Amino acid sequence: MELSNNSSKGKLFISGIIPFAFLVILILYIFGPGSDLLDFGIPLPEITIEKVDFVDSEIQVTVRNTGPIPVEVVMADVNDRIRAAAVEPDGFLERFETTLVRIPYEWNLAQPYIIGITIEDGTRFEKEIEAAAPALEPSFDLVIFFAVIGTYVGIIPVMIGLLWLPFIKRISKQKYHFFLALTIGLLFFLAIDSIEEAIDVSDESLAGIFNGTLLVATVIVLSFLGLYYFGDKLVKKADSLKITKPVAIALMISIGIGIHNFGEGLAIGAAIGIGSIAFSTFLIVGFALHNTTEGIAIAAPMSRGKLMLGKLAAMGLIAGSPAIFGAWVGGFVYSPFTSVIFLAIGAGAIFQVIVVIMKWIREEGDKNLSSAAVVSGFAVGMLVMYLTSILV
Amino acid sequence: MKKTRSNAVILIIALIIGLSMIVVFSTLSEVELEQKTLVTPSGALIQTTGEIINPIDYSGEPLDFDPDSFLRDFNYGKVSQLSDGTTLREFTLIAEDDKIMEISPGVFFNVWTYNGATPGPTIRVTEGDLIRVKFINNGEKSHTVHFHGTHPAEMDGVFENVGPGGKFTYEFVAGPAGVHLYHCHVAPVEEHVSRGLYGAFIIDPKEGREPADEMVMILNGFDTDFDTENNFYAVNTIPFYHLYKPIEIDLHKLVRLYVINILEFDPINNFHLHGNMFNYYPIGTQSEPSSFTDIVTLSQGDRGIIEFEYKYPGKYLFHAHKVEFSEKGWVGIFLVKDNQEKNIQEIKYGT
Repeated sequence: MELSNNSSKGKLFISGIIPFAFLVILILYIFGPGSDLLDFGIPLPEITIEKVDFVDSEIQVTVRNTGPIPVEVVMADVNDRIRAAAVEPDGFLERFETTLVRIPYEWNLAQPYIIGITIEDGTRFEKEIEAAAPALEPSFDLVIFFAVIGTYVGIIPVMIGLLWLPFIKRISKQKYHFFLALTIGLLFFLAIDSIEEAIDVSDESLAGIFNGTLLVATVIVLSFLGLYYFGDKLVKKADSLKITKPVAIALMISIGIGIHNFGEGLAIGAAIGIGSIAFSTFLIVGFALHNTTEGIAIAAPMSRGKLMLGKLAAMGLIAGSPAIFGAWVGGFVYSPFTSVIFLAIGAGAIFQVIVVIMKWIREEGDKNLSSAAVVSGFAVGMLVMYLTSILV
Repeated sequence: MKKTRSNAVILIIALIIGLSMIVVFSTLSEVELEQKTLVTPSGALIQTTGEIINPIDYSGEPLDFDPDSFLRDFNYGKVSQLSDGTTLREFTLIAEDDKIMEISPGVFFNVWTYNGATPGPTIRVTEGDLIRVKFINNGEKSHTVHFHGTHPAEMDGVFENVGPGGKFTYEFVAGPAGVHLYHCHVAPVEEHVSRGLYGAFIIDPKEGREPADEMVMILNGFDTDFDTENNFYAVNTIPFYHLYKPIEIDLHKLVRLYVINILEFDPINNFHLHGNMFNYYPIGTQSEPSSFTDIVTLSQGDRGIIEFEYKYPGKYLFHAHKVEFSEKGWVGIFLVKDNQEKNIQEIKYGT
């Protein structure tokens, strides 16, 4: 009995391995004896200028080989005028390898520049910088500056949004559903906003080889699935953890929004860091208004439990403070790749939150998602977000 | 069971994100200890442990084309006398289109060549000579040789395309005296010319010209990424060459430049000389200069003779006053030497 069980396990194992083994053989054949068969077509070299830093009398350019074949960086130019440069560690780049090109240049503040890099076959790649600004050096003042901005656009607006809690508490079930649906609308808008931003960044700064849009889609789905799985656990365990279901849901919403705000902080920090925008007070006001709506999203489910000020404040912090960390990361160690990843994770997190709230409405209500309250709430949520987004 | 599954999910997510991070943050690993200093013409300098890429002040191995030997190299052909006393000059031009040439340090470009180089050999004859040019096309495309100057229609190298492996003999009486050019005239002509199928064609007047230090300067360029804009500009092919290897000339000695603008894509080019004025003879067909100037502007295919001598020793720039071109390679230096005080001068230059 035991023997046959073992042998059937063995068969199962082998039947699982066989297709894999054939796949390995196929790959070995293509790279080995069969390589001539596939040796047609001309691979085109490609590099991507990932980053341009303006330092003292020098422009530093980070270049990555994003093509299918090795390349050599042989010349640098500024505004299409050939310049002497140093390449560290050297100009020869295997696939995906990066190098730093240092061009001595007396650049002018806030002036646009086009940086060109030529490779060994004479192909020139360029990147346009809208306004030259010195690369940010991490300093105590800047850390504080970013923290203040993060507080303004993250924590404070979310906290203000939470102040609607007493109001939501007093309203009827119908109106409560309206506000929950409104939250879905707000979040749905935020998710689309994040996806758009992620795709924008990937189009602008990520090489084609990363398949930007697919990368975003993959990360969204992974982040959604991961949070969905753990979120469900959290809600199921709510009783044993001595928190109520509404609190569990609110906690998940604030985590989701927190991840989103980290992405937002990244964008703000990076924008200041690479000098692509002037960070005006107007922009801060826009972000603040926009993010106030996020507070409502947390407040809505919480309104059905007891009023727990401490927990509410903690959730406000969970949702808002990542903006500060995002601003630090974005300002000091910006990389377009991490930016895309975090924006996509944020979008996935929000989709998960949306699903959770929809479930909550269904359970709370009459298994009905098409009531006037829900539909109009969703619509108003989207509209409010759209209108406040115009300010950003 | 559930725990292991959730752990597996974490592991997979962590792996995917982790691997992507490695790709992003793959860093500059090997660090050489040797420090080099890069000094740019503007005086800026940086210390580096890496490689220096500097076509402007190049000090590496010689490139595939030697502008120094091309500069004063004149080909008079195989000379024989016909029964009526006419001088016959025979030349051979072989076209190829598969040569990969290092046109600037590290930049390898497929140039199309006459006799293996771009520009092709400078052909120099005297007015009234009978010219016989055997043309062999060893390329993979059709090519011709179209000479400027007077000749019969069938010797014009326009309608008689010479296919791959084909031959053609161009024969005509040379005239008028002046500085001309030859180039391929197969469509698309812009491509055949910009790829390098051209050369200088100088016809001396029968009475000759005043002895001088003579040079050929072909103002050319290369569009290495095929966007119909030149990436490189030069005098005789190699950008910046005479900036780091100045042309030595003698004080008070007449210098004669045969300047030809063969640039494609840009409607004009020009030649500007520092610290001096020159006599300019457009196309070199008249014995009187048209102007005494320090700049001359040339359209595509335009050319002329420039004559000057220097009053003071030292380094003098010559370049396109269209500064875009000079900053992409069309710039050089005349080093004027006083041979009588050679020893003294050399000490001076060194300091």
